[in-house]
Amino acid sequence: MDGHPYGYNLPISEKTKAVPWEEKVRIVEEVKSDFRFKEYIFGCLNCGVCTASCPSNRFFDYSPREIVQRFLEEDVEVLYDMMHEYIWACSQCFTCWIRCPFVNNPGGLVAIMREVAVRNAFEATKDLLKPYGRVLLKVMTTGNQLSADMLQPDFFPDWGPKMADNMENLRAKRLAIPFDVGKSVKTAWEVSLETAIEMYTIWRETGIFEMLEKLDPNLYNVIMDIVEENEERYEELYEEEE
Amino acid sequence: MAHAHGFGHNSPGGLLRYPEKPPFPLKEYSAHYDHIFEMMEELEAKGEILIHRITEEHQPVEVFTRTGRIKLIPTNKLWHHKSCGQCGNIPGYPASIFWFMNKFGLDYLNEPHQTSCTAWNYHGSGTSNPVALAAVWLRNMHQAWKTGYYPLIHCGTSFGSYKETREQLIMNKELRDAVKPILRKLGRLVDIGDGKERIVIPQEVVHYSEWVHAMRYKIKELYEKEGKAKGIDVSNVRVAIHNACHTYKMIADDYPYDPEVFNGQRPAASTAVVKALGAQVVDYSTWFDCCGFGFRHILTEREFTRSFAIQRKLKVIYEEVKADLIVTHDTGCTTTFEKNQWIGKAHGMYYPVAVMSDVMFAALACGAHPFKVVQLYWNCSDYERLLEKMGISNWRELRKEWEDTVKYIAELEKAGKYDELMEFFKEYDLYEPYSRTSTGKPKASATANMPLFKS
Repeated sequence: MDGHPYGYNLPISEKTKAVPWEEKVRIVEEVKSDFRFKEYIFGCLNCGVCTASCPSNRFFDYSPREIVQRFLEEDVEVLYDMMHEYIWACSQCFTCWIRCPFVNNPGGLVAIMREVAVRNAFEATKDLLKPYGRVLLKVMTTGNQLSADMLQPDFFPDWGPKMADNMENLRAKRLAIPFDVGKSVKTAWEVSLETAIEMYTIWRETGIFEMLEKLDPNLYNVIMDIVEENEERYEELYEEEE
Repeated sequence: MAHAHGFGHNSPGGLLRYPEKPPFPLKEYSAHYDHIFEMMEELEAKGEILIHRITEEHQPVEVFTRTGRIKLIPTNKLWHHKSCGQCGNIPGYPASIFWFMNKFGLDYLNEPHQTSCTAWNYHGSGTSNPVALAAVWLRNMHQAWKTGYYPLIHCGTSFGSYKETREQLIMNKELRDAVKPILRKLGRLVDIGDGKERIVIPQEVVHYSEWVHAMRYKIKELYEKEGKAKGIDVSNVRVAIHNACHTYKMIADDYPYDPEVFNGQRPAASTAVVKALGAQVVDYSTWFDCCGFGFRHILTEREFTRSFAIQRKLKVIYEEVKADLIVTHDTGCTTTFEKNQWIGKAHGMYYPVAVMSDVMFAALACGAHPFKVVQLYWNCSDYERLLEKMGISNWRELRKEWEDTVKYIAELEKAGKYDELMEFFKEYDLYEPYSRTSTGKPKASATANMPLFKS
C-alpha cells in the first residue's frame, strides 16, 4: 500500500524511495536542528483545527496537521517526500499557528522545510521556483521585491483590461505621484546604492548567494553580474569622494 | 484570570505595562510573548542591545494588545519604512499615509536608505534564512535610530516578520551571535562608550494600521471639517473588513484590540477607524479567512489565489452582506481582492465590490484627490460606484484632471524638457523627493546613477 496508514494519503514517490535512508535522515535532521524547530512544535491532539481553517487545504492535497504529526512520529520517509512538492502548497498565512491549542506553528515548520529544500537544491524546488525568478532577481540586486515594471499585462491577462490601461505612460504616472513613492518604475522606491551594497554584504555573509547558485545557476550569474557592476560603481563614487 | 504578570504590573524599565483591570474578556492563558519586553530590559542592562525608545516627542498613544498589554503607538517624528508591494503596485496606499502626515503637520522622514524586509521573498521561495532576515531588519532599524526618527512599518508582512524576528533575537543568543559580525561589517552596531557592541532594537514594532487606529479621532475631525465640506458622506457605505493574516495571526499577541470593537474579540485596527468615520461595518461569516495571496501563489499558483479570493471572500461579502467596499490593511490582500474580480466573469462568478486599504478610504473621506493622491486609476475593482455613493460625484472631472497632468509630464519628458519638468514639480510636489533625508540626495541608486531624471 502506497498511502500512509495514519492519514498521509499521497503515495511515496519512486524518487524518494530510491534515496538512501541515511540521506533522508540527514535532511530531516537538518530541519530539526534549526533553532526555530523547538519553538514551532509542542504537542498535538490531532484535533485538526489547523487543517479545517487552512486555505491551502481547501484546494490542494495539503494538511498542516500532517506536517506536525509526521514530525512527532519521526516519519522520515514521509517528511522527506513532503519536502519536494507537498510543502509548497502552504500559503504561509499562519492561520494554523493562531488556531492551534498547543501553539504549534505548522506554517513555520514549512518555512524551515522549504529553506532546507532550497539549500539542498531539490529538483522539484528548482522547477517550482522557476517562474519566481523575476522576484529573486529584483530582490537580490535592488533590495526591493516588487516594482511597477514587473506588472506587465501580458503576465496578468486574468487581471482584466484595466491593467493594460494602467501600464500606459507608466513612468509619467509614477512621476505624477506627489510624494516620493513608486517614482521609479524599476524599483518600488529609489534604493540608495550604498544601501544596496550593504544588502549584498548580508547576502554574502549569510550564504544566500550560495543558495541561489545551487537553485538556478543561470539566474545566479545574471544577479552576480549586476551585483559586481554596482559594487564597481560604488567604488568609483567612493574614490571620487576620497 | 491566569496571566503572566497580573494587571497593574509594570516592568522595572517600564517597557511592559498592563492596565489595572482587563480592558475586555481575555483568553485564559499566560502570554509568554509579553515576557520579551522584560527580557529586552535585561539584555539592554547587560549591554547586548540598545532599545530605540518611544519618547514624548513621538507623541505616543496607548492601545491594548490581545493580552491586555499597553502598547505605545508613536504618532510623530516617524521614519517611514515603506512597502515594496504598496509602492510598486498600490501607489495610492503610501501616498495616502503621507497625505495624512502632511495634513496633520507631522514630522517624518521618507528616505532611500532602506531595503524591503525581504520576507515576501522568504515566505514565497524559502530563499533566505533567519540570520539574513534578522540582518536586513536590524540594518533598517539601525538606520532609523541613527536619524532620530521612529520606524513606522507600512507592510503587514514586514510587520509580522519583524515581530517574529525580534522575538527570535531576544529568545536566542545564537541568533544574536550570528548576526552581530555582519552588523559589525556594516557599521551597524552601537557602542555607547563602554566598549560593548549593541544591536539596536525598537521598543515596539509598529504597523501603519496601528498609527491609523491611534489617529482615528483626529481623522474623524478632519472628515467632519474638510470631507463633509466637500459634500462627502460615508454614513451609507457598507464596509466589510478584512484583517491581514501577517498583522494579527503572526505573533498574535502584538496587535491592537479594543473594547469598542467586538468587545476586544477581534483585531481593532481598520474596523475602529471605519466606525469612527461613521460608515457601516458589516460582519460576514468568513472574516477569519485569509485572502488567498499565498506569496508564491499570487504569481505562480494563480488558480488557487483567485479561486480562494472569489469563493471564500468576494462571493460571501457580496451575497451575505452586500458590502460596497472591502477595507484592508495590507499589501497582498488589497492586490488579491481588487485584481481577481474581473476573471470571475468567465465563470459567472462576478462579485463587484470596491477594495482599498483603511488609510485610502479615510483619505477619500477626508477629501483627498481620488486620483492624484489615492491613485485609484491603478485599482481594477469597481470603485466608481463607491465614489458616487460617498458623494464624490465629480470623480470624472478629477480623473480627467489627473490624466491631463500625466499627459503633460509624458510630453515634457519625451521632448527632453527636464528644466521645465523640474519647474513643474516645484509647484506640484507635496513632498519634494530627497529634501528631507538623513544625508540629502544620494549619489546613486541601485538601478541608476541619477535618480528620477537623466539631467
